[in-house]
Amino acid sequence: MSELVVDDLVAGYGDARVLHGVRFTVKQGEVCAILGPNGAGKTTLLRALSGMVRTRGTVTLGGTELSGRSPDTIARLGVAHVPEGRGTFMPLTVEDNLRLGAFVRRGRAEVDSDLDRIYTYFPVLKTRLKQAAGSLSGGEQQMLAIGRALMLRPRLLLLDEPSLGLAPLVTRELFRIVQAINAEEQTTVVVVEQNAHLALGIAQQAHVLETGRIVLSGTAEEIRADEQVAQSYLGYRV
Amino acid sequence: MAGFLQQVVQGLGAGAIYASLALALVLIYQFTGIVNFAQGELAMFSTYVAWQCMAAGLPFWVALPLTLVVSFAGGMLIERVIIRPVEGAPELTIVIVTVGLFIFVNAAAGWIWTFLIKDFPNPFPGGALELGGVSLSFSTLGVLGVVALVMGLLYLLFQHTKIGLGMRAVAANPASARLVGIRVGWTLALGWGLAATVGAVSGVLVAPLLFLEPNMMAGVLIYAFAAATLGGFDSPLGAVVGGLVVGVAETLAGAYVGFIGSDLKVGVPLVIILGVLLLRPQGLFGRAAVERA
Repeated sequence: MSELVVDDLVAGYGDARVLHGVRFTVKQGEVCAILGPNGAGKTTLLRALSGMVRTRGTVTLGGTELSGRSPDTIARLGVAHVPEGRGTFMPLTVEDNLRLGAFVRRGRAEVDSDLDRIYTYFPVLKTRLKQAAGSLSGGEQQMLAIGRALMLRPRLLLLDEPSLGLAPLVTRELFRIVQAINAEEQTTVVVVEQNAHLALGIAQQAHVLETGRIVLSGTAEEIRADEQVAQSYLGYRV
Repeated sequence: MAGFLQQVVQGLGAGAIYASLALALVLIYQFTGIVNFAQGELAMFSTYVAWQCMAAGLPFWVALPLTLVVSFAGGMLIERVIIRPVEGAPELTIVIVTVGLFIFVNAAAGWIWTFLIKDFPNPFPGGALELGGVSLSFSTLGVLGVVALVMGLLYLLFQHTKIGLGMRAVAANPASARLVGIRVGWTLALGWGLAATVGAVSGVLVAPLLFLEPNMMAGVLIYAFAAATLGGFDSPLGAVVGGLVVGVAETLAGAYVGFIGSDLKVGVPLVIILGVLLLRPQGLFGRAAVERA
């Protein structure tokens, strides 16, 4: 049974429609990659899932309807969105940023032990706990954003361009960690990424979005093998 | 020397009052980016509520908590009903709304309680503490103590409670706060409630020194703006320090600069506002709007 079901999703800003009837599903514990060029609607798709933009159509997570709800309610239902730009609380300390990720959870002891878990994924954060998050490097802020999202113990993790602005080595490390998180916590992940090669490396399923419509769907291998995708997004011919 | 210190003490006493209203201004600005021109009038209205409670026979120390609760609820209500519909509107729109609120609250107070001045009891005992030739009146000490207490409570709330953490998150990044599940709308209302409560304290401190009348906070508001500008509009600590500095500067200028005297004293905060905006627009403790991307 599918964990995330997106059906006929329409979304946009004001009068400008960006998504025109997007339809896909993600199984529990799977990583799903959304690929596509600039302006295809990838970020808008994640925003629609987390309630940041108005939508039509239906989105359900584990049978619970998400569509039409506000972002804070959707977060309470277990959706953690690492937004474009990382959503860092700049003047707050690294530790406060992480604790905010668990804002809707109860039980301080559990939250504390989850903090330790985040430090094992991202040891660098532990060395900067009392530092203002705005002073972190881009890569560290991306780690912080993912750490913050994990503090929710999400059912569904939405990642928006985790590679944006990061050095290739840092990006690879980040994807390795996301893969480890997915394997260890069985968290369902939807990742939007321009770097198709990296995204397909950790995903089971992938969809190609173009001008607000899914034009190609399949397993990561199928998508990787597709000549069109290879030319447009992977930079080589099969 | 004793005379000079006496002026400083007097300035600190006045400054503490400016600080309390500046604190209320800063609380709202931090969360919403709104400069609430009606803050002083809300404080005045709260003071009338306290007066009404006492006129009904309640003792001061019962009337005060009651007033604070009413002010808190009133502040939240104003955010929900009046500010919410213009949230996200251009700054000018919001400024006009708060100016409208200023006029409305002022007129409402006059309508309900008339514009005749009323006596407001001083909660602190009369008399003074003599310290090396400087006399510290209990009233001044009381005002300083209350402002320190308010500041301390706000610090505890913001730094050591989960609600406070949520409020700081909303101030820092509302969109991201929503994504971690914080009810941003209610948090903003909470900010207005808190500001109204702090403002009520300010009004109750001012009223015994001046008289209670609908226009009593107008002058204080100017000083509070100077204090918040000097300290930095996004820093509660800055508001308090700014308030004290403005109070002392104003008193000293009035006492020692011949041509200023007590008539031109009111010009001092305006000079401070102008100077800060020219030299250090973010204020002493404020964050300049530069951040690592």
